[in-house]
Amino acid sequence: MENKKKGMTLQQKQSMSGWIFLAPATILIAIMSFWPMISAFMTSFKTGSSANMQWAEPLWYNYARMFKDKLFIRSVGNTFLYLIIQVPIMLILAILLAQLLNNKDLKLKGFFRTCVFLPCATALVSYSLIFKSLFATEGLINSILVNLGILQENYNFLGTSASAKAVIIIALIWRWTGYNMVFYLAGLQNIEYSVYEAAKIDGANGWQTFWGITVPLLRPTIIMTFIMSINGTLQLFDESVNLTNGGPANSTISMSHYIYNNTFGTGVANFGYATAMSFCVFIMVGILALINMRVGDTRD
Amino acid sequence: MKKKLIALLLTGVIVFSLAACGSSSSSSEGDTSAASEEAADDGSESMGSSDDENTLTIAAWDASFNIPALEAAAEVYKANVNPDFVLDLREQSEASDIETAITTAASAGNYDTLTDIVLFQDHYIESYVSDYPDAWLSIDDIDINWDDFQSEKLTYSTIDGVHYGVPMDSGTVICAYRVDLLEECGYTIDDLIGITWDEFTEIGKVVKETTGKYLMCINGDSGDLVYMMLQAEGVSQFQDGAPYITENETLKEIVQTIVDMANEGVLLLTNSWSDYTDTAIQGDQVAGVMNGNWIIPTIEKVEANSGLWEITTMPTLTGAEGYAANGGSALYITANCSNVDLAKDFLAYTFGGGEGAIDTYDVALTDGGVISTYTPAGESDVYNQGVAYFNDTAIYADIVEYGTHVQTIEQNPYHYSCGTQIAAAIVNIINGSDLDAALQDAEDQLNFEMGN
Repeated sequence: MENKKKGMTLQQKQSMSGWIFLAPATILIAIMSFWPMISAFMTSFKTGSSANMQWAEPLWYNYARMFKDKLFIRSVGNTFLYLIIQVPIMLILAILLAQLLNNKDLKLKGFFRTCVFLPCATALVSYSLIFKSLFATEGLINSILVNLGILQENYNFLGTSASAKAVIIIALIWRWTGYNMVFYLAGLQNIEYSVYEAAKIDGANGWQTFWGITVPLLRPTIIMTFIMSINGTLQLFDESVNLTNGGPANSTISMSHYIYNNTFGTGVANFGYATAMSFCVFIMVGILALINMRVGDTRD
Repeated sequence: MKKKLIALLLTGVIVFSLAACGSSSSSSEGDTSAASEEAADDGSESMGSSDDENTLTIAAWDASFNIPALEAAAEVYKANVNPDFVLDLREQSEASDIETAITTAASAGNYDTLTDIVLFQDHYIESYVSDYPDAWLSIDDIDINWDDFQSEKLTYSTIDGVHYGVPMDSGTVICAYRVDLLEECGYTIDDLIGITWDEFTEIGKVVKETTGKYLMCINGDSGDLVYMMLQAEGVSQFQDGAPYITENETLKEIVQTIVDMANEGVLLLTNSWSDYTDTAIQGDQVAGVMNGNWIIPTIEKVEANSGLWEITTMPTLTGAEGYAANGGSALYITANCSNVDLAKDFLAYTFGGGEGAIDTYDVALTDGGVISTYTPAGESDVYNQGVAYFNDTAIYADIVEYGTHVQTIEQNPYHYSCGTQIAAAIVNIINGSDLDAALQDAEDQLNFEMGN
């Protein structure tokens, strides 16, 4: 009788209080995060000035437009070039550094680990500007190379498309290697030392131990860093804007930079097209992450 | 029950404090500090209108350039017209902050965040008026004699025959040269007046060989150089609203000239704007600079070269003296202006050529280096004084005079997009692409951006 009066069983009460605890966060996420996403998705089907947007005719106009946009295709190409060259180099360096710094007998371990991680503590804009001045035509790198006799005269690193791309890749590697190393270090610490001892007794050399034990056991960490790096590189923005401003002749522009140029960058606010491109990037990230997880999945 | 009550109370307190936080940030708008105090803070400030009937809020962006000019106008208006007048300056960190503010306010359909008046760049205003017509107020009925202004300047702030803005600074192009370096090569500044670009290139080669310095420089990612050279010929990059690039023989000739100058070591194309101002000009790598007259403060920063520069007009393809304008801005009343009559009266009395105009423009020039496009201002004593840095020549009066010759050419909201595309084409041509193919690419891409 008592239960009926209150209208709720104990279980119902419990689940009710659970919902009440969840509700504020859920509502906030829905309003702050999901609603803008839905709204952006609808915007991507519209054209015109942002004060007076109309449904595009045909509806997929912005999406079709992308495939005819040479500059967008170039920005996709640039971003994937960064991705293909930078991510493997960075992750291999990170795993090697982690392996070195995980050595039990190494002195000043904390100091070295801090040194490698330190670039991550610098702001994206400031490090881009530092690289810009380092590689400027009158910059430090040029003076060193000229004084060492490697170059005859100052080379315009940021004004030549191949070298400008190389500078962006070098900057990215410098900035992010330490960040990934930390994940590998954490992963390595979870590997029992006895496994290595067993390998040693079996007569495995360092290389064999690395490939036979470290890499397979680090697999989940490697997959995670891969996904994060792909995601991060596809959204590359600060380096493209601050280091080269997309130049020379748009040869280093990244997708996010181009999207930005279409909204606030060049005075022509084309929000419909820009959001459509953003969703295109979103789909690319999704597909790449899916492939990555399938490739890395060991359960058959 | 008690616990529930306490919980309810606590929740209420939190919700209330959150709500209070949200509104407190916007309630500090009514501050009526004087214009000079406002400008002293160097951080960016929020925008917004004022309720006070003697106060106008205004957004501008350069503490060493247009802010002193606005302060001068406020002083003049306060001293002669309305002693209670306060111009509340909201300093922004750069011009694009104001463009972004307009875009976001108009997209949201809420103009409360805008100041009464904004300073806005000439080349952007047309597209912003056509995209966001509700954000601006027409000032056709303002008490200004428009004939006193340089006609080319007015074409920017007049859209479809309706006046929206009051011109402030000028973008009249100057060619500044290092007289000492020219002398070293056996030339005087007279040898550079009224010459063709071919003659200019020949002189430039000698200068480069003798002194190692470039006779011309520009940032390679902008289309400013092409635009200025074209305007001096009276030709636009647009025709009837469409890009006019591949069929524009003048443009082709100019692009070829630029490529030749770059290849001959006469023209230095820098990677970025900061390279242009800091490394090329202030790093003393150049013997000549051609740009809007707002570049003068940058040149003057190298104190060692004081007295060694002089200015003149541009070379052209035909050898006539060339005149152009690049950049510059004007003052616009926004839809959020709560005191339109005061705003119009203030603008007309000061920058618009009213009784306070000469005083305003004189102080604007001495304090900020802002050169007027109001022709009578060029007759004042301040404008006719010799400038020590430029070998005691009266450059400001000269610049106002140059401004009267600038030809009006077709403008387009896609001005900067076009410049970017042509600049990219020039870089590609210098790196070995075919001229026609590169310009075709530029035109295609621009047509694409414009949705043609």
